Amino acid sequence: MARITRGELRNLLGALGIVATLAGLAFGLPALDRSLPSQRAVSPDEPYQVGAGVSVVPPAGATVDVTETRPGDAEGTALFRLGPVRYAIAVRPFRGDLETAASRLRKRITNTAGYQVTGAQLAVSTAGGLSGLQGGYTAPGRGGRYAVFVAEGLTIEVTISGNDLDLGRTLPQIEASTRTLRHDGERE
Amino acid sequence: MTASVVRPASGGLRMSTPPTGVVVVLLAVGAVRMSQLAGEFVTSYPRATLTSIVLFALLAVPFWLLVSELDFLEREPTALRVVAFAWGGLVATTVSIAGGTALENLVAKLGSPHLAADWGAAITGPTVEELAKTLGVVAIVLVARSQVNSVLDGVVYGAMVGLGFQIAEDVVFAVGAVALAGQGDQIQPVIATFLLRGFLSGIWSHTLFGALAGAGIGYLVVRRDTLRAALALLGAWAAHVLWNSPLLGDGLGNGVLALLGVILLKGLPPLLLVLLLVRRLHDREADYYAGRLATLGDPSLITPGELAALRSGARRASARRLAGARAKPAVRRLQRAQAQLAVELSRASATGIDHWSSVIRSERARLRRLNHPEAIAGPPSWRHTASTVLTTVVAIAVLWVALSALGGA
Repeated sequence: MARITRGELRNLLGALGIVATLAGLAFGLPALDRSLPSQRAVSPDEPYQVGAGVSVVPPAGATVDVTETRPGDAEGTALFRLGPVRYAIAVRPFRGDLETAASRLRKRITNTAGYQVTGAQLAVSTAGGLSGLQGGYTAPGRGGRYAVFVAEGLTIEVTISGNDLDLGRTLPQIEASTRTLRHDGERE
Repeated sequence: MTASVVRPASGGLRMSTPPTGVVVVLLAVGAVRMSQLAGEFVTSYPRATLTSIVLFALLAVPFWLLVSELDFLEREPTALRVVAFAWGGLVATTVSIAGGTALENLVAKLGSPHLAADWGAAITGPTVEELAKTLGVVAIVLVARSQVNSVLDGVVYGAMVGLGFQIAEDVVFAVGAVALAGQGDQIQPVIATFLLRGFLSGIWSHTLFGALAGAGIGYLVVRRDTLRAALALLGAWAAHVLWNSPLLGDGLGNGVLALLGVILLKGLPPLLLVLLLVRRLHDREADYYAGRLATLGDPSLITPGELAALRSGARRASARRLAGARAKPAVRRLQRAQAQLAVELSRASATGIDHWSSVIRSERARLRRLNHPEAIAGPPSWRHTASTVLTTVVAIAVLWVALSALGGA
């Protein structure tokens, strides 16, 4: 029977050390991430800064998911959850008109397998003076609403998704929240 | 010259069996994962995905050739350079996608979403990615210890790992830009990403960080110099942190020059550091191998003028230019054979010495027939200097146009 040499044993242990470190990065960190809660309470009385000078008053009872919330100076995202319903807002630099912004958002929605835009688009406005377009979409077992606004070189995209029952229950609150979207004209 | 500068390999490429098996399995797992990702991209955006793969693969070619030439005197085996590149493109990327996202989430959870937005990329990118990439150089050491016999070898393998990572990451970013644009399977976002990440960020990105980290492993393995090893590894991490950091995020004002200034301020220090390091390591290695060749005292194998030319990349190139178009290939082959002879002399391999001596004499005879018997460097040439200046101006103009096209103006 062949004997393993000291050098081979050292190399084998080294290789196993590499595997262990890679496993720690690929599986250990995600496991640690999953073990910590991602949702934080958020006040329904104060505007929440989404990013790039855009704020919104969250619906009562909503939590913010910190893993998908990134407020930045030039762009930003915020994800609120009302139970199982997702209420996401994304602000990005954009050069174009409202129709183009809405068309791009619809295309991104329908690029996901099984997602389809439904019904006509309607005009929507916010208390802060933003004008936009809103519509609906369906996905297997889920429904959704979207709204898009354009303001001073930015596009503000709102997507709301959940099953029909939860959506029907929470949509009035979320739409009320969407109407509080405001762009203060100055980036953070 | 001390033996610690270079530890000659005892012969050809011999791979240690257990680590080789582990590395092959890891590469296979990485290949499966990255293929799945590529499959998803191709399904959604076939034209954009294929365009980005072709563009960034083409971009990899000059980087590959440049990195391969860094250690002209003792080139690393192609198989190991391929393994290093594949590690970066398949293993390090696979691990970094999962680990980087998780670590950024942890920054948001333990700190705040603001902290993650501002510093997430600066904290998580360097920490996860540099570790995953550096393990590729460690894997090369375990697989073929005898092939990492100078710090410069570590630089080459580290740069190759970084290059593989950079190309794979660029393709992922390019297709991500296509998805974000929401205009379907368009290639404009791919072109913009190619200009931004390929040209503007290309030279001071992962290849550079990988080269520094590889130098760290080289110092550790070849010279047992833990201080320099730690400094190089820390330097790779710090250069990556600086590059990803929000510092100077508001720029130096508006316009192309301001944006170029920020890129230079963040990227130039590590680039100069690596260039100086490579120059120093190359010179020390060249001194070592030139010393071996000098002991021959046989002008049919190498003349004093050729020995002087062989020590420096610039003088080797000058010798090839001086030879003219007809003799240039023969001079290149002669220089390559002389370098190989130096390596075989350091290994005291009689077979190798005989083989490469024979190759040199054959090339020498060819050069005599071409009336160019000696491959010496020419005097400084104003045409070459003008050509270099013109190339630099063109490169800056390309950067300028790219920045303007991307909205920097």
